[in-house]
Amino acid sequence: MSNNRVSRRQFLNYTLTGVGGFMAAGMLMPMVRFAIDPALQTKADGDFVQTSQKVADLTEEPVKVDFSYEQVDAWYTSEVTDTAWVYKSGDAVVALSPVCKHLGCTVNWNSDTEHPNQFFCACHGGRYEKTGKNVPGTPPLGPLDEYEVSEQDGFVMLGKKIANTRG
Amino acid sequence: MHRGKGMKFVGDSRVKANNRMVNMPKDYSEYPGKTEAFWPDFLLKEWMVGAVFLIGYLLLTVAHPSPLEGPADPTNASYIPLPDWYFLFLYQLLKYAYASGPYNVVGAIVMPGLAIGALMLIPFLDKGPERRPSKRPLPTAFMLLALAAMIFLTWESVVNHDWEAAAKQGEIKEQVDIEIDETAEGYLIFTGEQGKSCIACHGADMQGGAAAPALVGNELTAEEVADVIHNGRGAMPAGQFAGTEEELQVLAEFIASLKAEE
Amino acid sequence: MLNKIYDWVDERLDITPIWRDIADHEVPEHVNPAHHFSAFVYCFGGLTFFITVIQILSGMFLTMYYVPDVENAWKSVYYLQNEVAFGEIVRGMHHWGASLVIVMMFLHTLRVFFTGSYKKPRELNWIVGVLIFCVMLGLGFTGYLLPWDMKALFATKVGIEIAASVPFIGELIKVLLAGDATIIGAQTLTRFFAIHVFFLPAALFALLAAHFIMIRRQGISGPL
Repeated sequence: MSNNRVSRRQFLNYTLTGVGGFMAAGMLMPMVRFAIDPALQTKADGDFVQTSQKVADLTEEPVKVDFSYEQVDAWYTSEVTDTAWVYKSGDAVVALSPVCKHLGCTVNWNSDTEHPNQFFCACHGGRYEKTGKNVPGTPPLGPLDEYEVSEQDGFVMLGKKIANTRG
Repeated sequence: MHRGKGMKFVGDSRVKANNRMVNMPKDYSEYPGKTEAFWPDFLLKEWMVGAVFLIGYLLLTVAHPSPLEGPADPTNASYIPLPDWYFLFLYQLLKYAYASGPYNVVGAIVMPGLAIGALMLIPFLDKGPERRPSKRPLPTAFMLLALAAMIFLTWESVVNHDWEAAAKQGEIKEQVDIEIDETAEGYLIFTGEQGKSCIACHGADMQGGAAAPALVGNELTAEEVADVIHNGRGAMPAGQFAGTEEELQVLAEFIASLKAEE
Repeated sequence: MLNKIYDWVDERLDITPIWRDIADHEVPEHVNPAHHFSAFVYCFGGLTFFITVIQILSGMFLTMYYVPDVENAWKSVYYLQNEVAFGEIVRGMHHWGASLVIVMMFLHTLRVFFTGSYKKPRELNWIVGVLIFCVMLGLGFTGYLLPWDMKALFATKVGIEIAASVPFIGELIKVLLAGDATIIGAQTLTRFFAIHVFFLPAALFALLAAHFIMIRRQGISGPL
């Protein structure tokens, strides 16, 4: 017998494996693609939410901007309401999250008469500078989060919450 | 399979028609020494243990209804999470300096991965013939060390957790539907300049939030409300109200009027 | 009557040898608590299996009321626990069983470890056992989310963040577990439900079968 002759039994084994592999692949391929779909979906770039705040009206003084957007989670859409403190810093527009980094209370601009021009959290006296940087010695452990900002038709658009880039 | 002449089958099947195994238990004399038949002798003992266990188990379910916290609210940013108790040691591990922050991978992946990997490969790491724990000191020591570490970490995490706050933050809140008269003088003070710090935590809808309880459906009198506003209570600091004494009185009466209907 | 039915079946299928092998096998003295009280440590494996059976049964019944949907999951759990007769007990069995099964399995693992029973020729059975352990922890983790209450959501957030910290493929694991890159929501719940109710139990059945077949084939490890 020469070495490279395939015996009948080997041939049948190979064919069996091949057909078996085809059946397994045929069954599993659609299912696996189905399961990993979320990882392959490309996110639409419409992640920015339009607010009612005109860029032209912004000053160096932070103003409270309420905005809400529809969060689409597959078949479940919900209305999410959020708030941001928005001001102009030079030419750039800055939007800070009002959630205190201490216990999640809401901070206000300039509401403490003893410490003007700071964000102040009434719950435990946490203070932040205008950039969102926490004032050392007050309860918060980090700077206020920031929103990604863009502009459309003269209105402020807010994007994802990101870690503060200014403090 | 047994084949040959003299074999008979049931019909055209492969089931033997003769020399079928008799359905008779093995005689007890066939069990050497103190060995025992699995069925029914040993299984009965196991089931007795099982029955006692089941009683304790059912008593536990009756005595401690399984916990259910309020419905999930992804917008609640202040919730301090806690995993099930058997993951607590991992959770605690992630609080230590060299297992968190930039070293998060060490605490979250490397250490548990090494532990599980070592556990899986024990038969190939400890290949000697000795089985007694005392005769294989290294594996025994490692296991005892791992056990001690897990118990210590679980203990630390239990001690350092604020269980009262945890119970409170998860409470099932009853939604109180009370019409708020948004033209009332008290409400205008609440949302106005004097009460600016009120809405920050209690919300303009007075339903409370992450840091403060709801004001609607409270059970306080006007005097008590005024006292809380003056002196603070719990997480609420004293001296937050910026208005006059008269305005405070109006506000206190307004808040005290927001009672749940009997 | 019963004997006649048995004979009728046995004549056609020859079932006696199949179960007689299990019924008549010899249980050695050193695992029998009747002879040595300390042999109770050999009960933990059996108790783990007992609770697993309870978990499967109670889980099957819980799905009669439970809905894996963000809008209704919590309400359905609240309803089945508070409105349905014995709901508190059935959910309680599943809830406490989940903890007890971990305890028992842990004790069983320690027994096998300290008696050195994983040594040759039982290496494979030990590996299968560790895999069962992992599947059980997975069942605990995925089941924790299903009531969709506060602690479920936030514990899962932490868990998924931990999975996301795996180098290179972490983000992928996160998306595959959560069903969305940023939201822990509707798709996370259905995924966890599928994993908890179908995928992991299927794996568990296969592993348990392998575990038991190997035990039956090799017999229990001898006395120390």
